[in-house]
Amino acid sequence: MSYITFLVDDDGGVLKALGRLLRAAGYDTRAFASAQRFLAEYDGNVPGCVIMDLTMPGLDGLALQQTLAETYANPPVIFLTGTGDISRSVQAMKAGAVDFLTKPVDGKQLLTAVERARLKDEAARRARRDREAFDLRMAKLTPRERQVLDHVVLGRLNKQIAATLGTVEKTIKVHRGRVMAKLEVRSVAELVRLTERVGLRPMA
Amino acid sequence: MSTLVFPSIRGRNPAWLPVLAGPVVVAALYLVGAEAAFLIGTLSDRIFAPFWPPNIVLFCALLLAPPRLWWLYLLVVFPVHVVAELGVGMPLPQNLVAFATNAGIAILNATAARYLLGPLPWFDSPRKACLYVAITAVAGPAVVALGGAFVPILGGGSVDHYWTFWAQWCLSNTVSSLALGPVALTWLDERNRPTTHISTRALVEASALAAGLFLVCAFAFESGRNVAADGLLPTLLYLPLPLILWSAIRFGAKGASGAVLVVAVALLWRALNGPSPFIAETPEASVLAIQAFLIGLSIPVLLLGAAIDETRRAERHVRTSEERMAFAAIAADVCLWHFNYRSEQFWITDHGREMFDLAPDEPITRQLVFEAIHPDDRQAARDAIRSTTLSDYVIDVEFRIVRRDGEVRWIRARARADCNSLGQKIKISGSFADITGQKATENELVQQRHDLAHLMRVSMLGELSGSIAHELTQPLTAILSNAQAARLLLAEDKPDFGEVTAAIDDIISEDNRAGEVIHHLRKMLKKGEAKFEPIDFNELIRCTLKLLNSEMARRRIKTRCELSDGLVPISGDSVQLQQVLLNLIMNAMEAMNEVSPSRRTLAIRTEALQEGRISIDISDRGVGLAPAHEEKIFQPFFTTKERGLGLGLTICSSIIKLHGGTLNLENNPQGGATATLVIPGEQSRLVS
Repeated sequence: MSYITFLVDDDGGVLKALGRLLRAAGYDTRAFASAQRFLAEYDGNVPGCVIMDLTMPGLDGLALQQTLAETYANPPVIFLTGTGDISRSVQAMKAGAVDFLTKPVDGKQLLTAVERARLKDEAARRARRDREAFDLRMAKLTPRERQVLDHVVLGRLNKQIAATLGTVEKTIKVHRGRVMAKLEVRSVAELVRLTERVGLRPMA
Repeated sequence: MSTLVFPSIRGRNPAWLPVLAGPVVVAALYLVGAEAAFLIGTLSDRIFAPFWPPNIVLFCALLLAPPRLWWLYLLVVFPVHVVAELGVGMPLPQNLVAFATNAGIAILNATAARYLLGPLPWFDSPRKACLYVAITAVAGPAVVALGGAFVPILGGGSVDHYWTFWAQWCLSNTVSSLALGPVALTWLDERNRPTTHISTRALVEASALAAGLFLVCAFAFESGRNVAADGLLPTLLYLPLPLILWSAIRFGAKGASGAVLVVAVALLWRALNGPSPFIAETPEASVLAIQAFLIGLSIPVLLLGAAIDETRRAERHVRTSEERMAFAAIAADVCLWHFNYRSEQFWITDHGREMFDLAPDEPITRQLVFEAIHPDDRQAARDAIRSTTLSDYVIDVEFRIVRRDGEVRWIRARARADCNSLGQKIKISGSFADITGQKATENELVQQRHDLAHLMRVSMLGELSGSIAHELTQPLTAILSNAQAARLLLAEDKPDFGEVTAAIDDIISEDNRAGEVIHHLRKMLKKGEAKFEPIDFNELIRCTLKLLNSEMARRRIKTRCELSDGLVPISGDSVQLQQVLLNLIMNAMEAMNEVSPSRRTLAIRTEALQEGRISIDISDRGVGLAPAHEEKIFQPFFTTKERGLGLGLTICSSIIKLHGGTLNLENNPQGGATATLVIPGEQSRLVS
């Protein structure tokens, strides 16, 4: 699915010009005159970023950012503002905005920010995808295998694990082989890297 | 009463003087009067004087003296009277009755005159002169003669002749009152006027007149007896008339009374001491004829003198009031003028000539006056005068004049035309007032108000700087992005020229938009003169809201506009009116700071009213006006804001007043406040 830049600004002229700039830079662009209209059409499955004016009648920029953060997609947000309002820019950045640009915005700055947002979105989506795949594989593990996995990730030897779980070393070896197969990893090192990447917290 | 009637006489003399000296002087005069009467002649056989001056002396004395002292005068005069009468052989009983009647008539006349005639003078108006005659020459003598008629009876006269004696007594006093009374009272009144100056010429003329009159009378009455038989008597009796009329006309009441006295003395003296034209069967009848003649002559002459005095007084009064008016007019820098349409004559006061810098003897025409009016104002002045077709209408017009010396001055003309029933002007009269100074003050005030409004506008725009910057940032953003997009597009291998052209077109329109904002700002910040032009108020509201756009968004205020389509254009200064709108809307926004964002709604409504007026409502849902503040909000320097100057609404109100409209502020029933502007439309303003 191609990457889309969503523009939200109550000023028609600005909307049109920014759209033209982004399209010329090769981005697929959708423009919305208000936050409400954008929310009505927004599909979180489509990769993209949101470029929005901070001050808008009705639902303003910060409120829209908050609404988006609560959605599943949580797309990266770039703020544009006509007035250099420091307190609100701090608030926006704390809430995870990619950038906070002052109008009239320089094209290069904007495109850089959009590119950063694209990378951030890609990374986020990849992480989300990895996690989802990992969760699917994890679901295949039996409770016993899950226990063994935790001990392995914590670097325990088979003998130690067997003693802890009250069984023989051989049984642990078999469990471990099944875990490796179910999680589709070939070595313990790979297993540790995978669990680290998805942020699994072993329960000891 | 006495102090009111003759204040200066009492005031001039020390208090003890009238008490002692007054009666003595009066007694002396009484004696002189009696002797004069005897000198002129009495019907000594009846001890009866046809002309009796002592009564007038006593009358005048009682007029001068306070009533509480009258007894003193009567007491002092009594022996004098007795002595004088005894001198001519009047027996005591008659003497006493005669004194009683003399005192009686003096008291009666003095009392009646005091209460009915009031203070002197009495002979400068026909009304008072008539009243004097009625009191002292008719009523007083008639009453007292009822007693006086007994004097001859006591002297042996027959009771059958009672009414003859009554008539003699009555007429004797009447003649005294008519012939001597006016002269004496006029003289007394003259004494009351210390400032009166009599010129030598007038004195000589009066003396000559008196002498001439006496001679003419003496001649006429002397030769009267001879011509009586020829039937030429009436002609002779008319001889003194020209001189009598002359003195009445020249000297008014004084001349008339003096002439009457001279004629009376001459006639009586001749009649009682020699040949006379009045010859009857008995001396009593002759005297009666003389008395009748004198009464018939003196009453009209006295009234003529009084009428002449009254006319002169009226003339003097008119002249004084004219002088006063002229003085007041000069003091107020006002001149008076008059124009007659038939004779084409233009009259103007000397001050008016100075106003226009015209020579004192230069003939003035309507043309000359109109040409002096500043060319720019000439038509307005002409129209103002032409518009009048009714007599009661007061023209009130202001214009400038260019004086001969080149100085320009402001003149306010107020005039009233006399029109005939066809609406044609017959004459027009009015005033010119020099209002140059007033105009300068007015202009200064207008300028100050203007400066203050400008200052407030600047400070208001300062408050709105964020919002205004935003208004400029938007087009600038669009321009920059379009330009950069165009560059990217052109860098491609096969540039999309259509898109590049669209980008450039947008740059142009966005640039215009930015230009408009700047133009608008410059207009608001400029300190220009007020310029009245047709204004579409709806457009003005939209324009103002645009300026406040981002401020509204920042304050999370929703706007609801209900702008009527049927609004007539109004005549006004767009900058000042927009200032009012900005001020009212900003007040409304500020009023909603404290309420929750969901309530923050600003409603603007326009409506066409009757008579071509429009109304504009600006409502908020804020905190509203505190009841204690409602009265004060339009007062200068009243503010509820922490950093406010308290001039916003004052200036708004004065701007709206300048546009002939009204500004009201009141709380809404459902909360918040509404500012209502009512402004007359262009047409209704022209009509008014």
